[in-house]
Amino acid sequence: MKAIQHITAALAIAASAFTASAQGYTTPGLEWSSRHGIHYEVNAGLNIGGASPIPLPAEIRKIDSYNPNLNLMIGATATKWIEPTQRWGVSVGIRFETKGMKTGATVKNYGMEIIQDGSRVKGNWTGKVQTKYSSTQLCIPILANYRINSRWRVNFGPYIALALNNDFSGKVHDGYLREGNPTGNKVVFEGDSEATYDFSDEIRLFQWGLQAGGSWLAFRHLAINANLTWGLNNIFNSSFKTVSFDLYPIYLNLGFGYAF
Amino acid sequence: MKLFKLLTVALILSSLESCIKKEPLNAECDIISATMPGDILNRQPVIQNDKVTFIVKNGVSVTDLAPEFELTPGATIDPPSGSSHNFIIPQHYTVYSEDGHWEKVYTVEVQTGNNINLDFDFEHVRINNGYDVFYELDRDGNEILTWASGNAGFKLTGMASSPDGFPTFQTDNGRSGKCAALVTRSTGGFGAMAKKPLAAGNLFIGKFNIGTALSKPLESTQFGTPFMNVPRYLTGYYQYTPGETYCEADGGKLVPVPGKIDKFNIYAVFFEATPDMEMLDGTNALSPDNENIIAVAEISDAQRVATKTWTEFNIPFVYRDGKEIDLKKLSEGKYSITIVCSSSIDGDYFSGAIGSTLLVDEVSLVCLSQDELKPQQSQE
Repeated sequence: MKAIQHITAALAIAASAFTASAQGYTTPGLEWSSRHGIHYEVNAGLNIGGASPIPLPAEIRKIDSYNPNLNLMIGATATKWIEPTQRWGVSVGIRFETKGMKTGATVKNYGMEIIQDGSRVKGNWTGKVQTKYSSTQLCIPILANYRINSRWRVNFGPYIALALNNDFSGKVHDGYLREGNPTGNKVVFEGDSEATYDFSDEIRLFQWGLQAGGSWLAFRHLAINANLTWGLNNIFNSSFKTVSFDLYPIYLNLGFGYAF
Repeated sequence: MKLFKLLTVALILSSLESCIKKEPLNAECDIISATMPGDILNRQPVIQNDKVTFIVKNGVSVTDLAPEFELTPGATIDPPSGSSHNFIIPQHYTVYSEDGHWEKVYTVEVQTGNNINLDFDFEHVRINNGYDVFYELDRDGNEILTWASGNAGFKLTGMASSPDGFPTFQTDNGRSGKCAALVTRSTGGFGAMAKKPLAAGNLFIGKFNIGTALSKPLESTQFGTPFMNVPRYLTGYYQYTPGETYCEADGGKLVPVPGKIDKFNIYAVFFEATPDMEMLDGTNALSPDNENIIAVAEISDAQRVATKTWTEFNIPFVYRDGKEIDLKKLSEGKYSITIVCSSSIDGDYFSGAIGSTLLVDEVSLVCLSQDELKPQQSQE
């Protein structure tokens, strides 16, 4: 859980930045920015969501369990409000975040391949699948902003993300494998027999998607934010065929920001 | 606002759940169970992934039999279940899956009376699923016995790229012609994960049930076939080279045991097949308290040693205390026999030495002749 440590450290730094500048425009730089319609915000929050096939393939019969995990996010945003009304603005952000989940599903006749230390098991699985996904990402959103009134604003735009540290692993258990295809030998997994898989190295490094959200200025400096990020490419490299459907990361980010 | 967000989360999750599509039609096309009308079966039908074997009572005519099959729900079979066929030679049935994408051809055969031969020379194999399957022919050249092995389980590990990479395969340089080679192999990453870090080469009369190979490995080796002779000796020839390091399985790991040398095993068991125990398996084939066992022929510990030349074995069947053969049951096919060979004697518990190699050739079951049987009958 190196990623969590990273994020905790970054949060601590951000928190000290809050306190250091909590007294308003104490630096000439911020004053200059403010005069030119450029506003800054640092923010932190939680990601809740998952990487999911869209739509769910028919092979997935039931979602047995879902755990969103504690996915932290910290970041900073610079917004340039366009004169004279300052109703529209453009923002660029940078955030460091984790996207993760843990799911348990029941599948029927689900094509799969498990490769481990040169062993290769391929076939159709009917039974339970547990998946753990965690990706630590550096994400840059470029957003159009619209101020509804002094407290409310909404934003929309694309983001690009760099997946730095990834885990996609799990196991299959309590079911059976048809070796090769549905007519192959039937191998039952029950009790403590299970097969693990690890596709962590197959996660796509560059990802992108769309983000839409809103922000409510609760106090002069404190904003409450909600953003939905919707990944538009498969989280796996395109050369990776074992998971037969594409998985898209869809996350709701809930958090707060300190507006300078 | 907070409430709104929570509702959003709930909405996302529930929408994913509600996105679950209609259940796809079954893709499998299995014969799940099989029966024959009338009281003509001597054993439960043996159903494998592509083969069904009916064993009928002595004297039953096989020229007009109408087997009935239960299939994967929604699947269909051609020719139809319940149709009559001549089973002097095996018949082929095709099962089609409910979704229409898959089909599987089953060989359906009927075994009558005592038709296994008594001499096994391991000259005949066919390649099935990438590995060798030994079979025996009768005098007319018909296949009458298929040897079983754990190769189907090893296939799952993906460790072998050719038949001779499996634990059980045919090789040259037999005592005459070819012979059976049994080699203890590493099962690689998948085997370690499945807590079965090695696979001993094995060859036996019976069937290997791949379905339970991972969850109940001892029960996946099912031993026995109907036998209507009185066995006296198990004879044959072997060569044995133990692997370098004997290891005990500790979960998925192999822990070396310094000084211990691997041993092979060859044995035969003659037993009564009862409805609650039609076949023996790895949990009970040699158990002292197994009431079904009549006689056992097991190679002596003194012979379980390394030898680089063909070495003869001639093992008497030793009757268990108080056990004898009932000739009436014998003629009705109530007894079964198995022969089991393994390159590592503890291979059923995934312990042994990787590389241990057992070669076996010219195995025979020496039995009382029909003439010798008669005086015994008159004694009764």
